[in-house]
Amino acid sequence: MSEIFRLEDVTFAHNNSTRNVLSNMSLSIEEGSRNAILGANGAGKTTFFYTLTGVYKPQSGTVYSRGEPVEYTKDGLRQLRSDVAVILQNPDEQIFCSLVEEDVAFGPLNLGLDREEVFERVAKALRDVRMTPFARRPLQQLSGGQRKRVAIAGALAMNPKIMIMDEPTAGLDPQASMEVMELAEKLHLQGVTVLISTHDIDIVYKWADTTNIIYDGKIEFSGSAEDFYNNAENVYRCGLLTPSVFNMNRDISALDGLSPAPYPRNCCEFTAKFGGSKKSGKIVCVAVEEESAVGRYEEVMKELNGTLTGVYGSDSRFALREKHIDFQFDAIDACFTEAVEGKDSVLFYDSIYTPTIKEQYEKLKSIGFDADLEMI
Amino acid sequence: MAGTLLEADHINYSYSRKGPKVLDDMCMKIEEGKKTAIMGCNGAGKSTLFSVLNALYKPDKGQVLFRGKPLTYRHKDIIKMRSEVSILFQNPNDMMFKPYVEQDVAYGPENMRLPKEEVQQRVQEALFAVGMEDYAKSPIMKLSYGQRKRVTLAGVLAMRPSVIIMDEPTAGLDPQMAYEVMEIAEQMHSSGVTVIMSSHDTDLTYSWADELRVLHGGKCMYSGEPEPFYSDYESVQKAGLLLPTVFMMNRTLAGLGREELTPYPRAQSQLSLKTAQHKDVNLGALHVIKAERETDIKAIIEDYDLGGMATGVYGMSARFAVRNTAMPVDYLYNGPENCTMKCLSGQDAVLICDPMMLDKAISSAMFINEHGFGKINIDVV
Amino acid sequence: MDELAYSSRMVNWAPLGKLFFVLALLIVGLVTNSILVPMITFAIGMIMMAYSTNLRVPLLLLLAIGEAILIMVLGSGMISILGDHSLPPLWEGNILWFTIYMTEQSFNQAWLIFFRAIAGVTLMLSFACSTPIPYLSFAFKSIRCPNEITELIVLIYRYAFLLLERFLVMIDAAQCRLGYNGPMTAMRSYGGAMAGTFIFSMELAEKSEAALACRNYDGTFPILREPKKLSIKWIVVSIGLAVGLYFVGQYSSDWVNMAKLFAPLFGWDL
Repeated sequence: MSEIFRLEDVTFAHNNSTRNVLSNMSLSIEEGSRNAILGANGAGKTTFFYTLTGVYKPQSGTVYSRGEPVEYTKDGLRQLRSDVAVILQNPDEQIFCSLVEEDVAFGPLNLGLDREEVFERVAKALRDVRMTPFARRPLQQLSGGQRKRVAIAGALAMNPKIMIMDEPTAGLDPQASMEVMELAEKLHLQGVTVLISTHDIDIVYKWADTTNIIYDGKIEFSGSAEDFYNNAENVYRCGLLTPSVFNMNRDISALDGLSPAPYPRNCCEFTAKFGGSKKSGKIVCVAVEEESAVGRYEEVMKELNGTLTGVYGSDSRFALREKHIDFQFDAIDACFTEAVEGKDSVLFYDSIYTPTIKEQYEKLKSIGFDADLEMI
Repeated sequence: MAGTLLEADHINYSYSRKGPKVLDDMCMKIEEGKKTAIMGCNGAGKSTLFSVLNALYKPDKGQVLFRGKPLTYRHKDIIKMRSEVSILFQNPNDMMFKPYVEQDVAYGPENMRLPKEEVQQRVQEALFAVGMEDYAKSPIMKLSYGQRKRVTLAGVLAMRPSVIIMDEPTAGLDPQMAYEVMEIAEQMHSSGVTVIMSSHDTDLTYSWADELRVLHGGKCMYSGEPEPFYSDYESVQKAGLLLPTVFMMNRTLAGLGREELTPYPRAQSQLSLKTAQHKDVNLGALHVIKAERETDIKAIIEDYDLGGMATGVYGMSARFAVRNTAMPVDYLYNGPENCTMKCLSGQDAVLICDPMMLDKAISSAMFINEHGFGKINIDVV
Repeated sequence: MDELAYSSRMVNWAPLGKLFFVLALLIVGLVTNSILVPMITFAIGMIMMAYSTNLRVPLLLLLAIGEAILIMVLGSGMISILGDHSLPPLWEGNILWFTIYMTEQSFNQAWLIFFRAIAGVTLMLSFACSTPIPYLSFAFKSIRCPNEITELIVLIYRYAFLLLERFLVMIDAAQCRLGYNGPMTAMRSYGGAMAGTFIFSMELAEKSEAALACRNYDGTFPILREPKKLSIKWIVVSIGLAVGLYFVGQYSSDWVNMAKLFAPLFGWDL
């Protein structure tokens, strides 16, 4: 996998300050990876993001984008910003236009794209966040969660190669948080390198490939999550805590004399490891498109009437909203957990997520559980 | 003994005449002296409900009862009620009125017309309780979001209310500070304050709250203990929520026949030990030092030969004592859980604890002992 | 206001066209001496407003209009009682140190000014209620107004509402900390809320600057759906109407004499 972004020895301090917010920070980001950026408040996360988008120019050190150092010229920055998009925590800080449509178009128009292309991008972005009916609405009328989605659409419309999400789940209710994670997964599957910074260590533990810890303006750690969490003092020093699944795995494994590896990261993996062996229930995975979803649902459920159902992906969820679905959110985990418990389930999902399901299957296999998976 | 302290009686409220009803025939009772968590998806009406309960907004229909008497909305009565019921808003920037930390914390008590010395003392105590005593003279603009949140909490603490309503107190805080806030909430509860908290963090509220109120579509959808609500997955989903991790794991493992559903563990250490197969492994001992402010911790540790063990601190007087004796502590946050988890790994741990909070501090260890999942020797000095 | 503007039926009319039209009518009202012309333009303004808002005017706007009318009534009233002492009075008297001297001429003059003023209010309001700020900025840019000024207007407008919102929230929060327990306390609370809003605005500015930079803001706010440009039709209609009204004014300058109309009511001898 190639490297898409690199910081080399970057030091940055604000204009009238002697304190370095970033000091000799070095980091390499792999293309297409799912990155968690963790750190206590004030460690330098937001500054780090702004350095990646060229808003802050470091006093020393170099920022490399695709192997080339970033040029802080008008053209260079435009190129950089068409590659990197940021979604900030507070939507009010990044929404500037009165109408939803206009605000989503703001970024692309500023990149100098022609109108037709911009219209297309705006339409697609709004579809992705399910805000199409709100296109011509004034932003004042929208709730906080809706504004957050508009902010996300604005970033999506830039078609970035790297998407940075700063606290995307803050202030969202649990279900909305899951939707955001689904979107992050979708971006990853489309080849975008995603960086998520959050205080919700559990939600990001399930999802990220690489965990990066920022402490005191430096990259304290970059690598596999467990390698970091195993060093409890270090975790504590950096102002963080270990995820609950990790803790429970550690304690139960220690008590039972098992090895903590392979590390379960979510419910189905945890249950597979400690639940004792049972014959796997069957999971029928049905990839659907938005238009045909209802038809497929009825077709499948005619035969499998009474089985538990789950839906994963915003298009499927929207298409099947009138139908009875048992697991509306985090359904992949839920269905596999049912399988571990020996019960059957049906999962309807947006076809793009096929690799995600396969990935979960492989992970369970490495823990020692062979799920009975049928993809139709 | 505990009666209904605050009650919403068939409350209807909309922001504009023809607008949608944000609160729709809402009926809810808050018990005195209990820890209540209020949950609901965004838009369910939580913040509006708080504003109505605090007499900021007058309901279109229905009434608010405080200690059994309906609110009259006369200026004097409202002032009296607000000196007993305090709200902590989610965004600290909404609550800051003075440029310096000390002044802002003093704002509330000053408005209560208290004498100057009393105000000063309360400010100092409140700042200490939130760990911001070093920042007393610093300007608010220089503080980070988490620090500001702590300052506003101090401001509310300084008013010594008998009811405190916290709107998303842990949102935007890093995990360690979130635990600190929970500790303060627990401390307030131990000193007799009725604490009401709204949060999206199902895990934190599950381990903390006695009572749960779930809002959905402007109504109170559920009222009672957490477990019956979470056991009904459909309701949980309809309310826009998800299950707490510990509850979900417990239920799944029980479904596998690995263990019984009850007793419900509420903390990680409780679940870990409940799930572990080998329950007769040697667990470490938990030594609890009841510390008042003037207690000499170092001396006690020497006397009882507790040196060399992992230490945790919990509760305000304990933190005072630790600061006075300048003792380094391993677990400044989430002391009880961390110490209990240390015991699970077979090592001894020392928990320096405020006597008022003793019950909560040893609750996980007690849970483990009482239900026969293991034996942690609890030794209180 | 933007919300109202975007839902107006006149939103898609060329903003410069509307502006030109409104200004033309205002000017002709000022140029002629006949009271009939401002009456007509006032009626046009009312019709436009009614059409634009589809008769659903928000309460706040009605209050603002009402307040403006009140001010104008006072202003015109002042003019009416400061008549030329060389002419015979309709009403004469003293209040405190003030001499009231109302003549036929001053009375008519007051009415003329009143109608000009409310015509101005309704016409400008009809423009404001149907033109969202981005369209307005687009209009300014078309007449080669410097970018800085246009952008400043847009930003001030947008942030003014955010800040007002924040101020109101802080006032609520102050109540919760007993901020209105007495007049002195109340004043301090308002002051504190203003200071807090100011601090908030500065911080918002900093964060927004960075956020704008991330979206490659280069100093101008682009518009996705541009409004219609000024067309000849507008110029023709505006000038035509203005000229027509001018002649009407010249011809009818004596048709309406407000003093004579009110004479029976007040018992004046005219």
